[in-house]
Amino acid sequence: MTERVPPRRPATFKLTDPSVVLIDSDESSASSSSSAAHATASASSASSSAPPPRARVQLAQEKEPPIVAPKPPASIINPKKGFRWGTLFWSAATGLVTLAFWLWVSKLIEDLFAQSQTLGTVGMVLAVLAGGSLAIIVGREAFGLIRLARIEQLHARAAKVLETDNRAEARAIIRELLKFEHPNPQLARARHTLEKHLDDIIDGADLIRLAERELMTPLDIEARVLISKAAQRVSVVTAISPKALIDVLFVAIAATRLIGQLARLYGGRPGALGMFKLMRQTVSHLAITGGIALGDSVVQSVFGHGLASRLSSKLGEGVLNGMLTARLGLAAIDLTRPLPFNALPRPQLGDLVKDLMKKREKEE
Amino acid sequence: MAFRFSNLVEEALLSARALKDYSENIFNPTIRLGVTGLSRAGKTVFITALVHGLSRGGRFPIFESMSAGRIAKARLAPQPDDAVPRFGYEGFLATLMEQRNWPSSTVDISELRLVIDYQRKNGAERTLTLDIVDYPGEWLLDLPLLNKSYERWAAESLALSRQDPRRRVALDWHAHLATLDPNGRENEQETLTAARLFTTYLRDCRNEQFAMSLLPPGRFLMPGNLAGSPALTFAPLDVPIDGTAPERSLWAMMRRRYEAYKDVVVRPFFRDHFARLDRQIVLADALSAFNAGPEALQDLEAALAGILDCFRVGRSSMLSTMFRPRIDRILFAATKADHLHHSSHDRLEAILRKLVERAMQRAEFAGATVDVVALAAVRATREAQVQRGRDRLPSIVGTPIKGEMADGEIFDGETEVATFPGDLPTNLQGLFKGEDTFRGLAAGSHEDADFRFLRFRPPRLDNRDPDGPALPHIRLDRTLQFLIGDKLQ
Repeated sequence: MTERVPPRRPATFKLTDPSVVLIDSDESSASSSSSAAHATASASSASSSAPPPRARVQLAQEKEPPIVAPKPPASIINPKKGFRWGTLFWSAATGLVTLAFWLWVSKLIEDLFAQSQTLGTVGMVLAVLAGGSLAIIVGREAFGLIRLARIEQLHARAAKVLETDNRAEARAIIRELLKFEHPNPQLARARHTLEKHLDDIIDGADLIRLAERELMTPLDIEARVLISKAAQRVSVVTAISPKALIDVLFVAIAATRLIGQLARLYGGRPGALGMFKLMRQTVSHLAITGGIALGDSVVQSVFGHGLASRLSSKLGEGVLNGMLTARLGLAAIDLTRPLPFNALPRPQLGDLVKDLMKKREKEE
Repeated sequence: MAFRFSNLVEEALLSARALKDYSENIFNPTIRLGVTGLSRAGKTVFITALVHGLSRGGRFPIFESMSAGRIAKARLAPQPDDAVPRFGYEGFLATLMEQRNWPSSTVDISELRLVIDYQRKNGAERTLTLDIVDYPGEWLLDLPLLNKSYERWAAESLALSRQDPRRRVALDWHAHLATLDPNGRENEQETLTAARLFTTYLRDCRNEQFAMSLLPPGRFLMPGNLAGSPALTFAPLDVPIDGTAPERSLWAMMRRRYEAYKDVVVRPFFRDHFARLDRQIVLADALSAFNAGPEALQDLEAALAGILDCFRVGRSSMLSTMFRPRIDRILFAATKADHLHHSSHDRLEAILRKLVERAMQRAEFAGATVDVVALAAVRATREAQVQRGRDRLPSIVGTPIKGEMADGEIFDGETEVATFPGDLPTNLQGLFKGEDTFRGLAAGSHEDADFRFLRFRPPRLDNRDPDGPALPHIRLDRTLQFLIGDKLQ
């Protein structure tokens, strides 16, 4: 360990030295300073016959190391056990069905053309339209899924930075987040404030917290409103609905809608597939966190249920269903929010239940 | 017995005061923020920037209550303690902003009261009174003296002065010391000379070339209104630790004055100021220690360890029983972080963390929260990259103070330069173990040094803002958030 890299010697450079070229890079190209415009200082351009520059002074942000996206954790169970016959079967079957479908469409259009020129043309146009819109739908689904994956990734990276306090990584996350939340008009001012602070000397964890406070505060409030509205609606419908089947259906629809709204609120744009994935994740997340939150929420909900059911069994069911919706919503926040809760308090079921009960009392 | 009794009185006074403070606190929450640091660490600038930032509304994104707009205003209020000088904020601010000079160092304790009107998160309107107490860190180094006898202190001081590089500065004093006979009759003139030479030695240790920190008794360097009084006129003698002084001897006289110093200077400071603090920030200028050399760095560590011993919590000493640990947050700040490129700040923080490691563990064990930050209360520089050969040097651009030297050049205080100060070491283990890890100014000429931290003038400010210019800073907001953020929830 005695081997020591000789330290770089301290040095001083005069800015007015004619052999020093001053390069002012503009703010936007700070991250790619190599491509910064070589604007020669007026002092040096006047003496162009001067000896070649001894040193260059470049006023620029330090170039950041390229950020490597974290690899998704490898599954514990090795999936590649032997040849995957199932996959082969499904691929082959899908191929066959696609071919059959293609054959059917082309046959149909041929038959139509045989029948009459006009019918054939109409069929052709319809087929092209269907194909085109299908492609767009698939594209949007894929886009939605990618966006959801990116949110997940941002969340994980931000959680890591909160521990490691890595400034370069924090800045990369904020840049991506700003791009991500760009379409949200509510955050125009917050985005501007954050952009201004991006070049300040702020530590990584602080930067993430700052971003959370600036960008997430209005969204969190909105999310809470959305959840308590949905919960309220569910509890009212359950209380007045005549059949249990309607309750269940309504809860399912309301929950799906709520999750979609929350995802869109935080910047995700899930399509049908994305929604499916989110629903699945939310339910499994609820299963995991439900156990942890047993202490505060379940006891409370059972107790609250007991209290409410004494008033009326239908009312009690309504409150319970409402609380279920609220818990689904809270779990969905965890999944759709691009930053982990750190600087801001996580909305609690207790707060929502309070909202719910207050509303009920008012309606009584 | 008398000693015990005075102890008891001390306790009673402390308790009475604590009770009074407590009752006042209920109606008007007050935080006493202690700002300390060895001289030249940047206390005055820190307080000036803090008060200016709070009262004008600086750019503090991390200071949550201010960035969220919950602080309505902060204003200066009349000073609460009648016997303590007021911190001359307006004068310091003018020096900083208009003349672009650093304010001259303070030599005494001073205090400033700032009242913050804010709104809690739930909407309630509240006021928080922030009393900022500025005192020289050297006075803190006096606190351990409370536990030391004269003989012990003399032996330690002498041992310290016989080490390199202090030995070279102490030659005069040592020569005079050799002529003194501790058991001889007391002699005012000889004592005066000894004290004068001893003070000169302490002062020489402190200049830029050596940058020594551990120099008790602190009041010798900053006598204030006690200059020339007998309590400040003594010096170490070469006496055995467990000996007893003969009656009316030089030794007895020195000893008496040392005790007087503790009674007149150290205890009142402790009782009236130190024991009443709620929050504490300790500023340390690690960079000038790097400038000077490894010895200065080790000395800084010893001084900080000395200071931190005063923050000790436990039942081991008389000091600690007197010392009710009310301080629940301690922040160690490596100041002048603007003299480094931000990519080196983590290293600076790591070095400071290493310096205060022991004390941090102790304080955390006792329930206080401790943190470390690389801070520049007023940022005097910008950042730049300099291409030298194949190297890209992370550098800083600023205006060096008139008379600063680098590369054989003397600056006039007007021209801007870009400077690369050197890479801070990453091997922290060897750094404090006396290994010859780097060369500083104390070892030789400017050309040899591994580090060269120039001193810069305060920044040129943007005067277009109608509220007056804001002072740029590095992590002052984080500091504020740590120190008072929780009281503004």
